[in-house]
Amino acid sequence: MPENDAQADQILLKQLQQSDAQALATLMKKYYTDLYSYGMRFAQDEALVKDCIQEVFISLWQRRENVTTILSLKYYLLRAVKNKMLKSLHQQANKTDSLDNQDTYDFLQEYSIERLIIEKQVSDEKAAALRRTLTQLSPRQHEVIYLKFYQHLDHGQIAELMHISRQSVYNLLNEALQKLRTLWHAEFLTK
Amino acid sequence: MKDFRLFDIMDFVMDEDFVRWVHEQRPEDEAAWQAWLTRNPDKHLVVAEARNILKSIYMAPPAITTQEIEKETERLLQTIQQQPEQAPAKVTRMRSRTWYAAAAVLVVCLAGALYYINNTKSTKTSFTWEKVTASRELIEHVNTSATAVTIPLSDGSSVSLAPGSRIGYANRFDSADTRDVYLSGEAFFEVTKNPDRPFRVFANEIVTKVLGTSFTVRSFDNDTTIQVIVRTGKVTVYSQAVTNTRRSATDHKPGEVILTPNQQLVYEKAAHKFQKVLLDDPLLIVPQVTEQKMEYEEASLVDVFNELSKAYGINVVYDSELVGKCTVTADLRNETFYHKLDLICSAIGASYEVIDGQVVVQSNGCQ
Repeated sequence: MPENDAQADQILLKQLQQSDAQALATLMKKYYTDLYSYGMRFAQDEALVKDCIQEVFISLWQRRENVTTILSLKYYLLRAVKNKMLKSLHQQANKTDSLDNQDTYDFLQEYSIERLIIEKQVSDEKAAALRRTLTQLSPRQHEVIYLKFYQHLDHGQIAELMHISRQSVYNLLNEALQKLRTLWHAEFLTK
Repeated sequence: MKDFRLFDIMDFVMDEDFVRWVHEQRPEDEAAWQAWLTRNPDKHLVVAEARNILKSIYMAPPAITTQEIEKETERLLQTIQQQPEQAPAKVTRMRSRTWYAAAAVLVVCLAGALYYINNTKSTKTSFTWEKVTASRELIEHVNTSATAVTIPLSDGSSVSLAPGSRIGYANRFDSADTRDVYLSGEAFFEVTKNPDRPFRVFANEIVTKVLGTSFTVRSFDNDTTIQVIVRTGKVTVYSQAVTNTRRSATDHKPGEVILTPNQQLVYEKAAHKFQKVLLDDPLLIVPQVTEQKMEYEEASLVDVFNELSKAYGINVVYDSELVGKCTVTADLRNETFYHKLDLICSAIGASYEVIDGQVVVQSNGCQ
């Protein structure tokens, strides 16, 4: 029920506007797992991710007078975490290289294909083929898959978050899924 | 309502409800989709292919516990309280690895401290009642009777003062930012919620800080330890002995320990060290009716641990991959916390230890 969810967020944002710290705490608890999961895609550094999330919520608190203008809070928070993460990583990596290359970053994705292997008892060759296919996907494709299937964002939000067009979102997603489809389709035909 | 009969493989893959069924494995979805497949047997193959595609991109949920999230939320609240209006954002950096190192050091120090205490007379600290309260004009209560006395405070909180104990506080707490109480001896506090004005108990060198909760502090001048026990809510405890300068009311230092229900903090005065332990008989923090449902038949061990953990507010740590297949059939109603744990562990051939206020379960898994 995304509408109800959005309404619940609006109510909490109104309370936040009235300087209600508990509303801020409720929002943090509600979105923490999603934000943490996303942050860890940019660097597997728990402490860094936690600090970034802290900073995002502190700035939400500081701009609380205007928070009711945020349309999709989840999207807003994800974007803020991404920006904070890339900024910190950038500062860590190279302070001289200040000409920002915001659009080149790694996106770590760990698929647990073991679950599939255990359940379906797919052959070793199949598992190897699947691993190969997954490693052939580009970081952009991983990110689109992640935002679509794990954060449930719509194509417009994914496009904005990744600074690409909606058509590119569709293409990246479709190409990745078609590769997997072909892989599995062959499986069903040879059975 | 969507007409899934018209769906092709890619439509299923892109459909939120379908994705939820495959990725989250909720029982209610499972039942609904199996029923749909029974009605539409020709769709089995399409669904199987779509499922495989989604399973190929399955990712495990991030490894963060609700306890960690609680801790981070607490940290956020601390930060925004101590921030002056409109000041630039600054996070107190906390590197988790340092924390683990600190925890390891603590264990070593405690062992040392026990040895030290047993072999020397405890040294007089500089945080006796006289020193702490000398410069302050306080309303004082001394309980010379043989039973506990209940004292109401002006903010609606109440204190149950144990025999031989003494408490002092300024009229209306005289500070706008905090509610400060000085204790020598033992008392149980029930604190009225007020996030803007933390309630602080100064007991010798230990300060217990809360926003609203109930807890006991035991600190007699002649004891070698100071103890804090939490009944409901959450409290933070820190030592004044580390830095002797007066702290601001909402200052957050890494030396703070956060206590949750059924946890007890023991502070060794001589060594200035904290140790977190569980109560001998933890109390339920949920209504009794919830406990009356704790009768299990072939229930998933993970679910049983989750419910147990919620009922007592105590973290139960285990390897979810190893015990994922374990099931439990047991009647846990009206048993004590530890007896419940014994029953579960003996059923699956596991063992447990209590470490740093948490239960750590060791198991070789189930077939």
